[in-house]
Amino acid sequence: MVFAKRSAKDLIVGKIPFLIALAVLTLLPLLNVGGFWLDVLTKVNLFLLVTLAIDLYSGTTYYLNLGVSFTFGFAGYSLALLNVYYGIPTEYSMLLAIPISIFFSLAILLPSLKIRGVYFAILSLLVPIIFIGIVTAQPFSLYLGGEGGLRFKQLFLDFARSLPPGIRLTFLQYSYYYISLAAAVVGYVIAYKIGFSDFGFMLRAVGQDEELAEGTGINTLKVKVIGFLISSAYASVAGALYASMRPPVTVDLVVPANTLIPPLTSVIVGGLGTLIGPAIANYLLLLTYELLWGLIGRWRVIAYMLLLIIIITIKPQGIVFKAYVEARKFLRGVFSE
Amino acid sequence: MSEILGCEKVTKRFGGLTALNEVSLSVVKGEIFGIIGPNGSGKTTLLNVITGLIRLDEGRILLDGRDITKLKPHERVKLGIARMFQGMRVFPYLPVYLNVELVARSIYGDVRLARARTSWALTMSGLLPEAGELPIRLTPYKLRMLEFARILVSNPKIALLDEPFAGLTPDEAEAMIGLIRKFNSLGVTFVIVEHKLRYLMRIANRVAVLNQGVKIAEGRPEDVVRNPQVIEVYLGVS
Repeated sequence: MVFAKRSAKDLIVGKIPFLIALAVLTLLPLLNVGGFWLDVLTKVNLFLLVTLAIDLYSGTTYYLNLGVSFTFGFAGYSLALLNVYYGIPTEYSMLLAIPISIFFSLAILLPSLKIRGVYFAILSLLVPIIFIGIVTAQPFSLYLGGEGGLRFKQLFLDFARSLPPGIRLTFLQYSYYYISLAAAVVGYVIAYKIGFSDFGFMLRAVGQDEELAEGTGINTLKVKVIGFLISSAYASVAGALYASMRPPVTVDLVVPANTLIPPLTSVIVGGLGTLIGPAIANYLLLLTYELLWGLIGRWRVIAYMLLLIIIITIKPQGIVFKAYVEARKFLRGVFSE
Repeated sequence: MSEILGCEKVTKRFGGLTALNEVSLSVVKGEIFGIIGPNGSGKTTLLNVITGLIRLDEGRILLDGRDITKLKPHERVKLGIARMFQGMRVFPYLPVYLNVELVARSIYGDVRLARARTSWALTMSGLLPEAGELPIRLTPYKLRMLEFARILVSNPKIALLDEPFAGLTPDEAEAMIGLIRKFNSLGVTFVIVEHKLRYLMRIANRVAVLNQGVKIAEGRPEDVVRNPQVIEVYLGVS
């Protein structure tokens, strides 16, 4: 329909900031930013996938899945187990870990199909906590490495060893960075396509009035299950890639404070369900957090959390997406002149 | 005339409260069937049971002779039951056209057909100019029209309207009556729950009266309003 289409100007204005950001992120390693920041950006790129996982499902349906850290960590543990106990190289075990983790994310979904709202959130949060208990308790800890974690060969290590010693670390850092960037870009484009497709709007319909959605013909159960599995796929890819680049795999991967709270705050500060808002917030917040380390050291946790509290109190519906919309209006004005 | 919708001894309890007690109805193809009764008499619960949003405890629901009691709500929509909810329920943060198109996509699957049906439904309900707007910007009448468009797009055999005249001005109510009559003449059967009897009684072919979950009367509107039991329920005197 005519009114469903966006104008050519809208498309140009919408794509320019995206292309600029992509160009900056692509060229950044060439500007000699240093190994530390390359590592940080690699992590931030991968956390974008977790942010999108939360925003695609919880940001649209308002079913707050706090078990994302379980799926993220489970992918890491699957990779490690396949590598350590079955001898499958990291490159392949990483790929196998993704569907395994998606499948086990049903541990969150299946018990919660008939519950809504805060009950779903609480139930989903219990799953990573149970998993942490399993990993650290005997006899499982004997196989899962306990608190020390499971050690394995990191991604591309064998190939890196064939290179001259001077460039091994650089090769690993650059290759990890570009893999994470490619995953982030592809992940964002797919998330955008899904989020603003008919299926994405069905997810939003479920979030706005589930009974109405079901009563007007939408198979809400099917929509929720597919949406959840797509979200799990994002968390699994992020978890498998992250773990493959940073052995050993430990319970830190599953602890919500590490792998849930940062992307969740990005979603809230970015603007629920808007995708672009949380994506921008993911970079702004996580890079700010790392910058604060250089400025105020350990006080950064307090300063960062206070900053988040202030932002969320002033604009609980998110601040980044609104700023993005204003910037687009400004750009559109520039193009009109 | 053949039956399109049948409720056979439908019973629904909420804990100790019996919301519907062995209610039986038979709606004939092509008619406008009214359901009236005081607040809490079970009218909306009956619509919820027919659409499957509430599971009944006993009894059966039949559509065109087929037992649909165990079908899920979205499956019933695909079989031809459409519903207008009480209190103007729409998806407030989806544009008008998507409110309608999502229903069409769920039913037809095919994108082109769904979009064509959506355009048609929006045109018929006079909403094409507002297609890109968010529903929160619409007037109560336009919201009702949006709900009507959502019904039309599903090409229903039977449309269940829960208080379609609530919140409308007399002129708007007349326009709604015109739409109902128009689509009834095109073959859509209507079941209408309504408090504003002056509108319902003008268009209903038959009316059933519920009180405390029990059907106390059924018949032509002019007969029902003279029924002593109905007068007692509405006025407290017989």
